[in-house]
Amino acid sequence: MPIVHLEGIEKDYGTGDGALTVLKDVSLDIEEGEFIAIVGASGSGKTTLMNILGCLDRPTRGRYELSGTDVSKLGDDRLSRIRGKSIGFVFQSFNLIAQLSVLENVELPLFYDRVTKAERRRRCLALLDAVGLSHRLKHYPTQLSGGECQRVAIARALAVEPAMLLTDEPTGNLDSKNGEEVLKLFHDLHREGRTIVMVTHNPEIAGGLPRVVEMHDGRLSERVTESA
Amino acid sequence: MWFARMWEVLVLGLKNLLRNKLRSFLTMLGMIFGVGSVIAMLSVGAGARHEILTRIQELGVRNIILNSVKPPEEVKPDSSEQTWRVSFGLTFEDAEAIDATVPAVDRILRVNRIKKRAWYGSKRLETSVLGVEPEYLRMFNLEVGAGRPFNETDARDRAKVCLVRRGLIRQLETIEDPVGMWLLIGDFSFQIIGVLADEQFRSHTRKALAIDGRAQEVYIPYSTSMRTFGTITHIERSGSSEYSQTDLDQIVVTTKESDDVFPTARVLDALLTHHHDRRDFEIVVPMELMRQRENTQKVFSIVMILIASISLLVGGIGIANIMLATITERTKEIGIRRACGARRRDIVVQFLTETTAIAAIGGLFGCLFGIAGTLGIVEFTQWKALIAPHYVGISLVISCTVGILFGIFPARRAALMDPITALRRE
Repeated sequence: MPIVHLEGIEKDYGTGDGALTVLKDVSLDIEEGEFIAIVGASGSGKTTLMNILGCLDRPTRGRYELSGTDVSKLGDDRLSRIRGKSIGFVFQSFNLIAQLSVLENVELPLFYDRVTKAERRRRCLALLDAVGLSHRLKHYPTQLSGGECQRVAIARALAVEPAMLLTDEPTGNLDSKNGEEVLKLFHDLHREGRTIVMVTHNPEIAGGLPRVVEMHDGRLSERVTESA
Repeated sequence: MWFARMWEVLVLGLKNLLRNKLRSFLTMLGMIFGVGSVIAMLSVGAGARHEILTRIQELGVRNIILNSVKPPEEVKPDSSEQTWRVSFGLTFEDAEAIDATVPAVDRILRVNRIKKRAWYGSKRLETSVLGVEPEYLRMFNLEVGAGRPFNETDARDRAKVCLVRRGLIRQLETIEDPVGMWLLIGDFSFQIIGVLADEQFRSHTRKALAIDGRAQEVYIPYSTSMRTFGTITHIERSGSSEYSQTDLDQIVVTTKESDDVFPTARVLDALLTHHHDRRDFEIVVPMELMRQRENTQKVFSIVMILIASISLLVGGIGIANIMLATITERTKEIGIRRACGARRRDIVVQFLTETTAIAAIGGLFGCLFGIAGTLGIVEFTQWKALIAPHYVGISLVISCTVGILFGIFPARRAALMDPITALRRE
């Protein structure tokens, strides 16, 4: 059973004659442990696809099964729970809450997953240790470098043991050295067996990944790479 | 588990409020004034109610007071005549009829009043002499400060003894102890057996009942009064003299139960109206006076509640306004929380907690402010106020209610935000 099963996904914006179809008949299967890149020019619909994959948005038509559950018709509360339990987001702009410390930021998804405070702390300390930030627990995001912020974000994404990591240009705001480090972290996670979906327009990064799909004008096409 | 989570949300909310101390304080001001005025209103209102109750107890809830009233000046019988006689007011027959026929009456007290000139040594005084039965003093809380009150022997023997007011003694400008001294009332010598304590209560109610402690009042036993002075008052005006005859100047009727007061008052009114051909009496019901005062008090309370509600409303709007601004500022945070699995109701709870916390803290400060304000009001106006411990609870309930009511709109607005748009906001 694939982690992600998309079947004839379409997304309209607006209604009636002025409706704009951003995704057209998108079908995609992602197996467990895959590291897949979604590439495409801006306006090609890749952000919309990512929002649907991340359960932040619902498709207008089509079927989306995440870990075997049809999530395309779920209500807001159920989608929120699925986001919290099954998806780990890593954004280009880190999206850490400035008022919360590093540790509190990482604990956030576990709080909404109703994990007790002690258990949260235990798991988050281990995660921050794994991304090499155990000396920064009490710091606030504004006191950290970009690379450190992104590593905090990755730790937060991993906190709930999600079915899939969903990341959007994770290196976009980083210098090349930090970018490489973050990318290396993703490769390490892939090797540990995690499923990672990365949206990027950087061909260099996409080129290094085992599977690349390309969005073009709302349609999805598989790009076959030799390394796969 | 639920409690632990709420506690975490609360701590988070308080941290957010502390992050912007000035703004939080300004937001609280509305609540401080609102709750403060509620507390001030409550304590002043309770004080006023307490005062009314004290007064009514002092006048006796079971009492009905009948006063003789001089009817409007009648046509003088003959303008050439220099002396005439008027007769009006409550009669002995009235008193007997009430005692004998009105069922709910427990007992009645007769009061006779005469205006007399009195002499203390060489000092002249205009006095109003009240012939009262011994129970009268107790019934109207006339405490004897020095000396002794009347007793049954005084009444039986028609003793020429009197009680005077402290104010009268003051008027005499004497330093000697007046108890045991002699007061010449009319043509008779009375021994002063006691001085009444200063009247603690000087109220409109008492004035209305003609029992206001005027210094000129001298009390003598009823029996003595009847024997010595009789029922005729002689008033001399420039050249003419008027004799007015009134059997009883006041009858105090005590009913068996306080429920009997109003029916009995009606019965008395009918009875007296039947026996008198003119309205030369009045019926004063202390309980009625209390009701009137309570109604005035109620109007006052309603106005105060209105004012307090308006300040609470303004306070609430202030909170809602600031929360809306906060939510715009924290849009990104809301988006992140939603992406991390927060449901809409989690967001609602978070922001409601913040508004409720700020309102509750404001309410507690408001409670202190209200107590301080009440003390200030008491200091300046000499009103009585009652401050009760449960006002803290009332403040909390009011402010939390305002916090929740005015927090719902901003919190819902935060919760209904589209997570994608919220995340994209910088």
